[in-house]
Amino acid sequence: MGSLLLPRLAHAGLLKSPVGINHLRPPGAVPEEIFPAKCIRCGRCAEICSYRSIRVLDIRYGVYAGTPLINVEEVPCYLCMKCVDVCPTGTLRRVSQEEVRMGLAVINRRQCVTWRGLALCRTCYNVCPFKEKAIHLDQLRPVIDERFCTGCGLCVHGCPLTPKAINIEPVYAFERKSRDVREEEAL
Amino acid sequence: MALSRREFLKRTAALTAASLVGMNLPLKVDRAQADADRWVRGTCRFCGVGCRVELGIKDGRPVAIRGVPQSRTNMGYLCMKGMLFYQLMRHPDRLTKPLYRESKKEKFREISWEEALSIAAKKFAESIKNHGPDSVAYYGSGQALTEETYLFQKIMRAGLRTNNVEGNPRLCMASAVGGYITSFGADEPIGSYADIEQAFCFFIIGSNMAEAHPVLFRRVMRRKLDNPREVTVINADPRRSPTSRIADIHLQFKPGTDLALLNAMAYVIVEEKLYNEDFLNNYCTFRVGKEKKEVSFEDYKKFISAYTPEKAADICGGNITPDLIRKVARIFATSPATMSLWTMGINQRIRGVWANNLIHNLHLLTGQLCRPGADSFSLTGQPNACGGVREGGGLCHILPGHRPVKVDKLRHEVEDLWGVPRGRIPAKPGYHTIAMFSAVNEGKIKAIWINCTSPAQSLPNCDKYRKGMAREDVFIIVTDIFPTKTTELANLILPTAFHFEKTGVFGCTERRSQLTLKAIDPPGEAKPEVWIAREWALKLAEELNDPVIKKCVEPFLGLEPGYELPKAIWTEYTQKLTAGRDNDLRGATYEVLQQLPDGVQWPAPTKEWALKGGTYKKFVRGLDPLADEHAIDEKPYQFYGPAHKDHKLWVWLRPYKGPAEEPDAEYPFYLSTGRVIDHWHTSSMTGRIKELMRANPYAYIEINPKDAQRLGIKPGDMVLVETRRGKNILPAKVYEGPMEGMVFVYWYDMAEDRMINRVTKDAFDPGSKEPEFKICACRIKRLSGPKPLKPYLVRL
Repeated sequence: MGSLLLPRLAHAGLLKSPVGINHLRPPGAVPEEIFPAKCIRCGRCAEICSYRSIRVLDIRYGVYAGTPLINVEEVPCYLCMKCVDVCPTGTLRRVSQEEVRMGLAVINRRQCVTWRGLALCRTCYNVCPFKEKAIHLDQLRPVIDERFCTGCGLCVHGCPLTPKAINIEPVYAFERKSRDVREEEAL
Repeated sequence: MALSRREFLKRTAALTAASLVGMNLPLKVDRAQADADRWVRGTCRFCGVGCRVELGIKDGRPVAIRGVPQSRTNMGYLCMKGMLFYQLMRHPDRLTKPLYRESKKEKFREISWEEALSIAAKKFAESIKNHGPDSVAYYGSGQALTEETYLFQKIMRAGLRTNNVEGNPRLCMASAVGGYITSFGADEPIGSYADIEQAFCFFIIGSNMAEAHPVLFRRVMRRKLDNPREVTVINADPRRSPTSRIADIHLQFKPGTDLALLNAMAYVIVEEKLYNEDFLNNYCTFRVGKEKKEVSFEDYKKFISAYTPEKAADICGGNITPDLIRKVARIFATSPATMSLWTMGINQRIRGVWANNLIHNLHLLTGQLCRPGADSFSLTGQPNACGGVREGGGLCHILPGHRPVKVDKLRHEVEDLWGVPRGRIPAKPGYHTIAMFSAVNEGKIKAIWINCTSPAQSLPNCDKYRKGMAREDVFIIVTDIFPTKTTELANLILPTAFHFEKTGVFGCTERRSQLTLKAIDPPGEAKPEVWIAREWALKLAEELNDPVIKKCVEPFLGLEPGYELPKAIWTEYTQKLTAGRDNDLRGATYEVLQQLPDGVQWPAPTKEWALKGGTYKKFVRGLDPLADEHAIDEKPYQFYGPAHKDHKLWVWLRPYKGPAEEPDAEYPFYLSTGRVIDHWHTSSMTGRIKELMRANPYAYIEINPKDAQRLGIKPGDMVLVETRRGKNILPAKVYEGPMEGMVFVYWYDMAEDRMINRVTKDAFDPGSKEPEFKICACRIKRLSGPKPLKPYLVRL
């Protein structure tokens, strides 16, 4: 995970996934392992995205050039679910809003002013589309519930601090098997 | 922030590298704090809690705000609004030049102050000459400094001979004023915030204090969490709000059925003999009706017998059961100390005064009053609604020092103190807010001065009143720091100094007056309101050829407007007008206020008393100097309030009354509105703080998941909200907040489509004249899927 934060070296970057903290694939994306192979770089998801959350990567990203990425710090995903409908290859699977797992919000309690007891802020809680489920307040301090967090990044976008006290970790993107398979196995 | 060249190069290099990996660079908030070279003390500009803050200045520029740890209000703690408002002082959108246009269709042009004040004076004078003194009006604000409200109302009443002096506190706490005066005989709470740390039961009704009074809520929460077993928090609200999350019991009743719930709690207290007989015998009488007829306890028992918990549960709906009402009433009555807290949910009702009375009733019946931790405590929304408007004479029916206009003796007292001829102040109260803007609609008011508030957005059913304000024959002067929905309708915009750019006093919820010192100069040609009012009055005196107008500002002539002028106004107000009144502030001089880390709670008749912080609890002998002074017997509590000559507290017999507009087949939903922690009122200020605007860029409509499912509404969908008055189109937020059959919208958004006051109802309380913002009937419909929305702010 840590290596993702290092500055990108021109030659090493060509094969390195652009997915990292707060840099996420659109909703319903297949695991990163197979994403660049499955995505045909048609750009339809970026085109349909009315919030301009989805950005198409340029040539600097090597084999990942042309694939879609969302930087939630700039524009988060509002979960309108239009992109999953237009994806012609199933690289973005047709999941419902609640099933989206772009990543998981993680609060840095050493950075968050509320956790540090400096001030009262609950922006992340207020902006969450699944408030009380994905984020709830414990003694007025925000706590994430990974069962419900979609990783949409609204909380990251809203967080008034620099650097952000809440970030989306793409914990699901690098799982070897897709969630569906995992769930089937669990049953 | 100033950067050296080397630092600049280092940072750009890092930025280039960072942009490649796509991460943001840490720019520490705390750094700016450490950088400040001077800290100036004041009070937070936003809500009614009255947090003490310090503004950090570096090289003459504001760079940070921090809390004052020694303060008894916030103990150093702040919310994000309070931490960030220093950004507004040098904001590029600030109004910096007087702007004028003859007709509202024209564009504004910049003019000089000299010209602006001449026009302002001429228009007011013309209107008075042609249509009489009542054709002009002043509409002020609970966010203006006490000195400003006081000076404006003095000029209007004694100078221009009209009581058309109103303010937006009419929209937020007029019912609380009515409640305190009718029940206790004196306005404003008996206790203080300090009671929170000694209370064992919190009864929070009609208040989302977690959002609206966050720092105070934290004290409540701390009290609860430090004593989880001993302290009970009861929250009564139709909406599950962040406040309800710490509650042990959440009473979720249908909007507008609060009177039934409160009367049923009183029923249980009486039926189960949980009342405090000693307290009732010693300090209370029972009253009924407009004539305030005294009745017996037996009569009260008979009256209350109609409100059995069974019947109330029927009326209230939601999760209310007879057993729950019984349980809550028992906890309320038997806890060692019960503290009630409420805000707009109770005040903004067509029977807001009655709702206030019924809360007070519970405290009177159980004797949960005057002891540490036991209080009936109304929270105020604005930073200076109590200090400036309630005490400073900022409403049409009251003169400074809690004096009703219509009482001849008190009116003449004020005229004498001001040195103006008797009969100068008219005996008839002026227009209250809704009547004032109705009069604008009808063309009865020809010139109106709107100071520090935006009625074009904050009035209920505002489209109706905007029509009147858009009339060409109504001359509107607006004094503000930023363009607002109201400046769009103005003829003359006067730029004013912001907080910390002028000196003055804010009086917060707990009777506490706190001084904010001027730290920096206002930008451009912006001026403090006290200067504007003084110069305007001088011009008026010339125009109308009336020396009495000049007399009103005579004591303030030639004084420097940054400190000396407000000080002289404060001295006149406190030393003359509050002397001998229940809000005696004679001890709270600027010198004393500057010495204390927080401020002074009135009554504070002497400097010695003020230096101790003033009075923590009113009416208690030994704690309140006036209780000793006005004592009529040996009892420990002396209720000397000016409105009750019998020195008693009154338990009122108030019947149930529902809201003005209830849902029906055509409009099946309740619509309620409220505040979010990140935004203040109409967001003309907080909308310009980028961190806050990013957090809440636009308002949305909260819908209960069950209703959403039934109507096929998904999170983010665009929803049409319609009432009998208008419509809004808002994105949906589906969550377990509002109860089933109810929707909720934040009211800060200025975009026409999302300005919820275009659809709210303007029915008002016949007693307090406060409108029922919080309840009306609406219907909702899904319009489309999610749409990208842009935050909107009025610009020039």
